[in-house]
Amino acid sequence: MLRVTNGRVHDPGNAVAGEVRDVWLDGGKVVAEPAAEPADVATLDAAGCVVFPGGVELHSHVAGSKVNAGRIMCPEDHVDHYRCRTDVTRAGCGHTVPTTYLTGYEYARLGYTTLFEAAVPPLTARHAHEELRDIPILDTGCYTVMGNNHLVMKVLSDPDEERRAARLRDLVAWLLHATRAYAVKIVNPGGVESWKWHGGPVDLDTSVPPYGVTPRRILTGLAAAADELGLPHPVHVHLNHLGVPGNVAVTLASMQALAGRRAHFTHLQFHSYEATRSGSYASGAPAVAESINQHPEFTCDVGQLVFGPATTMTSDAPMEFRLHHLHKDKWANSDIEMESGAGVVPMRYSPRQLVNAVQWCVGLELMLLIRDPWRVFLTTDHPNAGPFVAYPMIVRLLMDREFRREWLEKLNPRVRRFTTLHELDREYTLDEIATVTRAGQARVLGLADKGHLGVGADADVAVYREQGDRERMFAAPAWVVKGGEVVVRDGEVVAAVDGRPLGVDLGDPPPLAADLAEQFESYSSVRLANYAVEDAYVPDQVLIPCAP
Amino acid sequence: MIARQQVGLATCTLGEVKNRADLVIFWGCNPRESHQRHQARYSASVKGQFIPEGRKGRRIVAIDVRPTSTTAAADQFIQVEPGSTFETATLLRALVAGKRIGIEEDAKVGGVPLHVWRELAEAIKAADYGVILFGLGVTHDRGHDLNVEELGALIREVNDYTRFYGLPMRGHGNVTGSNQVMGWQTGYPIAVNFNRGYPRYNPGEFSVLGLLAREEVDAAIIIATDPGAHLPGDSVAALQAIPTIYLEPHVNTTTGWATVVIPVAPAGVAAEGTFYRMDNVPLRVRKLVDSPFPSDEEVLRSIKETILHA
Ligand SMILES: [Zn+2]
Repeated sequence: MLRVTNGRVHDPGNAVAGEVRDVWLDGGKVVAEPAAEPADVATLDAAGCVVFPGGVELHSHVAGSKVNAGRIMCPEDHVDHYRCRTDVTRAGCGHTVPTTYLTGYEYARLGYTTLFEAAVPPLTARHAHEELRDIPILDTGCYTVMGNNHLVMKVLSDPDEERRAARLRDLVAWLLHATRAYAVKIVNPGGVESWKWHGGPVDLDTSVPPYGVTPRRILTGLAAAADELGLPHPVHVHLNHLGVPGNVAVTLASMQALAGRRAHFTHLQFHSYEATRSGSYASGAPAVAESINQHPEFTCDVGQLVFGPATTMTSDAPMEFRLHHLHKDKWANSDIEMESGAGVVPMRYSPRQLVNAVQWCVGLELMLLIRDPWRVFLTTDHPNAGPFVAYPMIVRLLMDREFRREWLEKLNPRVRRFTTLHELDREYTLDEIATVTRAGQARVLGLADKGHLGVGADADVAVYREQGDRERMFAAPAWVVKGGEVVVRDGEVVAAVDGRPLGVDLGDPPPLAADLAEQFESYSSVRLANYAVEDAYVPDQVLIPCAP
Repeated sequence: MIARQQVGLATCTLGEVKNRADLVIFWGCNPRESHQRHQARYSASVKGQFIPEGRKGRRIVAIDVRPTSTTAAADQFIQVEPGSTFETATLLRALVAGKRIGIEEDAKVGGVPLHVWRELAEAIKAADYGVILFGLGVTHDRGHDLNVEELGALIREVNDYTRFYGLPMRGHGNVTGSNQVMGWQTGYPIAVNFNRGYPRYNPGEFSVLGLLAREEVDAAIIIATDPGAHLPGDSVAALQAIPTIYLEPHVNTTTGWATVVIPVAPAGVAAEGTFYRMDNVPLRVRKLVDSPFPSDEEVLRSIKETILHA
């Protein structure tokens, strides 16, 4: 048994806001305070500390084919960022695309204990699971990309609305089960397929070859399927026109299309730009934040820009090609048959670059203008907008408006004409930070045992020493506990336990419909019987129930 | 590998080649000998979703230094001089970009008249979905990685006009899997040195040939390869002079001289695991028969545990 005592507990899921109380852990769970002092108890004296639930990362790129393509393509990212092995940890390297082991240690060193890889094409799902198994300490899961999947688009091309919905529901369940994934991911719906046909960027009502379905139908169809299956996490949406000035229009229109459905909009910073008259970037954050404020069924994460090196990697192949053209630097692409695409482009964001400065402000504007911290989450879309190791600094930016002002001074001065950040005075409280870094994520993921410290929650706890400098405070936790074991002490990993894979309990989904199976056998380069990920890749997967 | 680190590579899976590629260029490779089912399954006769006529729906071009069964079955064979890959790829880049070439139309580049290259450049731009499948004739030609880099640049630039991709025709069993695992565990696909306690990367210096030539290796574990057959004679001699542990299911040119040979169950026959196809698609290989011998993984695990607890 382990007791965390004397700390000020911030557990927004249970409305505990900084009260000094003990947290008792036993058998991997939070337990009630025992009636009598137990004989065998270890104590962490958290006097002068805040006690948070373990952090929950709901959108990051840490495992699988495109992440590894980024690692292999960018040795210059690793050479100055390495860690020697210790008695408990393995060696590793990489700054924006760290090796799997280092990824686990670095997340744990910030107090995170749960992690989701945000974009896995079904054909390479085995690869993602192999890497997730090599990420120590954290419980992990992944999302399956479906927004350009041929079987999905074929089903959606059915004019019969009812049959279409029923068949899509079965197909989504089958795909999730085949990939052992946790949620439905949509990336640039229809846009990746369109690119393969030399089509331009798609709008909500562009008919996309070869099935003639529109992004609107893909979005609404998949959102409805996720809802009707009762998946713990709603559709996780990367919208069309990522990174393009003026994309606020398609963002708002997509939100309108999904109104009334649960939906999570990811890295919204990249989707919240007005266009200036010269076609350059201006903030569209106020309008997007207002839309989120008005729709309690929506959640979002921000994808905050971090100045310095980044590695962009998405299934949004056409967007990566566009980025490559901005810099003419390296570009990796992989079209994936019948499913998806992928691109990787290294990047460096600079505060003097007006575009980057606007993007940086837009992220913070969204965080500050969206009022409900349960519906906006802190991410950097790691490593697209920057590496996750920047979280402590971003926390300080949210909590400390003086620090924000100092940073605004360092930006390209024209940024004030195109953003409103300098007008915003809001400062996050510790409770709000606990919400946007764990409690809110756990709730929208449907992880009832994560993101809080009530009895029955997983024994995942992060203890930070109170300091005025919030960046230093959150950069080196006094202790991090995972599953009841102390894994980090004073910011260093002291035990590298294994995390568990997370999945959803879909029962035994119906087999793939005969016409879809035939299409698959005709055009895939693997046999249907060899497609689904075997149990061996997700040993002892924890299955979260669905609520249809 | 090194070329990918310089410019990246635009590529696609083999199913995309099958379903979409209307122009297939075999450059310095002979899949009819080296990858015998490749053309029938993915790249020539196969019917794809958007290439319903199969072979008739694809234009096939073979570029090589000598006639082979692959060049014989192509619609067009461009026979080039050895050592000309970099030069011809550079020329194609210029032609695709519409740059003025300051030579006569019948002047030769790589032993082939300029107008042939001009026609190829036009065919590349006119294709809907083109791929270059390249092999040892590119990677082992004079220039090595620079050739791949130049091909990569060509492929990248053609994407301003149409979809166009490159796939290395890799052999050697699960070499792709080895690159992938090294990539996620160490950050680098090949040539990783741990002697300072963290991964360092320097192809050449830390490659097998370099390490053996400088006699820096004092013991070796050899897995899933036959150095007796694949390495040059002086590298083999360097290995023979040190203790070697060899994990191998079959008798071959290395088993005779390795210090210790541990027979293992062959993967995909008597041991399961993951195989990364040449297009990086991960496949499960199954265990079909029992073997009296342990798998590579079991052997390595028990060696590791024995050392840890020694
Ligand atoms: Zn992302």
